[in-house]
Amino acid sequence: MSSHSMKKYKIGGLAPLILVLSGLCLVPFFLRAYLVEVAMMYFIYIILAQSYRLIVTVHDWQLYHIVLYGVGAYTSGMLAKNLGVPVFVAIPLGGAMAGLVGMAITLPLLRTKGWGFYIATYGLAELIRLTWLKFRNPFGGSTGIIDIPWPPVIAGIDFSDRIPYYFFSLGVMLLVMLMLYRIEKSRIGDSFKAISMDPELAASTGINIPRHRLMACSIGGFFAGVAGGLLVHRLGAVDPKLFNITTTLYLLIWVVVGGTNTFWGPIIGVSVMHTLFELSRPLIEIRPMFFGLSMVLVLIFLPGGLEGLISKAITRLQKRDRVAPVET
Amino acid sequence: MLLEVKDITAHYFKVAAVRNISIGVNDGEIVTLIGSNGAGKTTTLRAISGLKHPSSGEIHFQGQRIDRLPPYKINALGIAMVPEGRRVFPQMTVLENLFMGAFLRMDKNAIQKDLEETVFRHFPRLKERTKQAAGTLSGGEQQMLAMGRALMSAPKLILLDEPSLGLSPIMCGQIAKIIRDIHAEGRTVILVEQNARLALVLAQQAYVIETGQIVLSGPADQLRENEEVKRAYLGG
Amino acid sequence: MSSQLLIQTIANAIAASGMLALIAVGLTLAFGVMQMANLAHGHFFMMGAYTVYALYALGGWPFWWAVAAAVAVGAVIGLIVERGIFRPLQGDVVSGFIATAGLMFVFEVLVGELWGWGLSRPIPSPYMRAVRFMGAAVAFQRVLVIPFAVVSIGGLMFFMRRFRLGRALRAVAQDPEAAALQGININRMTALAMAIAGAYAGLAGGLMSTIYAITPSLGGHIILPALIVVVVGGMGSIGGATLAAVIFGFVMTFVTTLVDGVTAVMVSVTVMAVVLAIRPQGLMGRVIA
Repeated sequence: MSSHSMKKYKIGGLAPLILVLSGLCLVPFFLRAYLVEVAMMYFIYIILAQSYRLIVTVHDWQLYHIVLYGVGAYTSGMLAKNLGVPVFVAIPLGGAMAGLVGMAITLPLLRTKGWGFYIATYGLAELIRLTWLKFRNPFGGSTGIIDIPWPPVIAGIDFSDRIPYYFFSLGVMLLVMLMLYRIEKSRIGDSFKAISMDPELAASTGINIPRHRLMACSIGGFFAGVAGGLLVHRLGAVDPKLFNITTTLYLLIWVVVGGTNTFWGPIIGVSVMHTLFELSRPLIEIRPMFFGLSMVLVLIFLPGGLEGLISKAITRLQKRDRVAPVET
Repeated sequence: MLLEVKDITAHYFKVAAVRNISIGVNDGEIVTLIGSNGAGKTTTLRAISGLKHPSSGEIHFQGQRIDRLPPYKINALGIAMVPEGRRVFPQMTVLENLFMGAFLRMDKNAIQKDLEETVFRHFPRLKERTKQAAGTLSGGEQQMLAMGRALMSAPKLILLDEPSLGLSPIMCGQIAKIIRDIHAEGRTVILVEQNARLALVLAQQAYVIETGQIVLSGPADQLRENEEVKRAYLGG
Repeated sequence: MSSQLLIQTIANAIAASGMLALIAVGLTLAFGVMQMANLAHGHFFMMGAYTVYALYALGGWPFWWAVAAAVAVGAVIGLIVERGIFRPLQGDVVSGFIATAGLMFVFEVLVGELWGWGLSRPIPSPYMRAVRFMGAAVAFQRVLVIPFAVVSIGGLMFFMRRFRLGRALRAVAQDPEAAALQGININRMTALAMAIAGAYAGLAGGLMSTIYAITPSLGGHIILPALIVVVVGGMGSIGGATLAAVIFGFVMTFVTTLVDGVTAVMVSVTVMAVVLAIRPQGLMGRVIA
């Protein structure tokens, strides 16, 4: 079902894809400075949502993804600031740290199922976040860490400038998406899907479920950490508040509203919901209610998310164009 | 006719588990559905008890259409089901399980009377274990409890799904005797069994279900002599 | 630690246990009956506290009337959430859980817009007296929750054992399909469970409203300890939740007194992780094969 609609995207999607990419390359030269900053946040959020989807495909809706994003940010920021590690080395190291932490959190919880697992992941995420809050040295407590180094000048391009960093984060996002896409299409991706559909059947075909869950959590965690690194070297600062449960709720909203059945769901989710988020700045106080409600309504009335809606619409259009296919 | 299943089809996701099944059950009969595993016997019972709404067709009980009613309303009309695998409430005592069977009845004296005179008479073993948690009973005792629980609703029609499954031959014989006793009291029974030999001895009417459809039906004693039935279900 | 402080801390710990138990028991009951956990349960507590704030502190109602109203408000919200979210999502565990996460936002904004976003003004306690015991003074208002917790939880356990509807709740928790076959209307039972859960959280919120300075984000702070209690107690087990509430009531109060609140949460989470690593089903949870 989902691979079927995937194919359609692929065939009809190549031209729009090139169009979107060239648009993304032109955009920073025309936009106001503030909007370029906003655009970078889209890239970071898409990495977050997309890597979270990888974990969701194994049905582990864990609640520590945002904290792993924070682990990446803290690690990368501290490596660069305290140890003088070059920024472009610190970011993947932050990712690796996040992946390791993801594995370390998941490992003791592998025997818990459903609720126990979700809630325990929430608890352990808070444990990490509170560690940053609690230990002023080295994490800076509630004010966090400031004066985190900017990216360096490489080959005459100053990556601490807005537009180079825009292209850097765009490049990282595309690379991450490519890697996640390849993972989804690989044998590992098939195993993930098999586990989410029917764990017992998957186990009986010889898929090692705990190992795959761990793998999903650490691969997803790695990319979340990379997103954190991208964030921290643009903000130049980091604090525990960035990674609290509210941010987790927004991550859930992006992924749920966008849909998780195919690769494009989280991208749609971030694009639509973060745009609405930015547009609704004047309503800052009641904005969360709107987002909370939209997620509840999507869950009840639109289980496949916006992505499901769009692919249904495309199928309908194609049906109208062609001879009606045989009913299956 | 007490129960009439007319031409029902039921789907799980997009697969039809049963297709155009029709069954008639007269008052006071034992009717059996036999067939191999996954043939659609359980789905038929689930449709009658309201656990599975058929996608087409109708079910009538005492002239009333019931195929759109939720299970609790069907229970209230006098249909009790003993599900496959007993499904007793494991952390409740035997007595509490039995009282759950009488959930919709308000007349305490009548409930007490049924408990003493019906359930404990058929299943004296349950009386010895009223305070025991149901999950700690043996398989045969759990089957007795599940049947006793069904009897506590004072049903007109009892649906029995694989009562002999996983029981020792001795226990099977006991359960068979109890089914006969219950029938002798004038209750109507639909019996789903993989043990066709047992089922065809107990029942008056029989239906053979294969891959979701009825392939053969008739009086049980005739089916017992049918060559195909003999070959497929009676082991020669 | 002086003996005075010790006694005072013990009293506070018992009060905290009572409050946690009132919250967790409803959460675990609803989970048992529906197999759905309600992340917005802490917000029920917060709504209870704000009901007392609105009616008693602002509206001048008698304190106990306001508390009764908090119980009613909790129950009604529970019913609305059951009807509006859990019933349409029946059986879809993940969706139910995420939907209630979205609900957290809704309640918070609702309360924030109605009564202000910041810390509310402290609510004057109707009982300014203190209980004196071995040289220590414990605020009467603080220990008030204890008899309520004991009576309501004891009452709930009795109800679940001895009453027809209570047994039906247990039956649904143990095997919903078999329960439906006994003539039990499952939807009515989940509604009952959610009403009880809401009422208990509302009661706890109402009683504790004069002790805490309340804010719209109170629910988000209380939900983590409540979830820890439910998970450690064994999901769906009322006895387990009560036991775990006492354990964590003491752990959190003592660590908060000796160190600070942040450390208290960190210690609690660590205890939870250890318990789950050893006993994934919790202290009194059933092993689901």
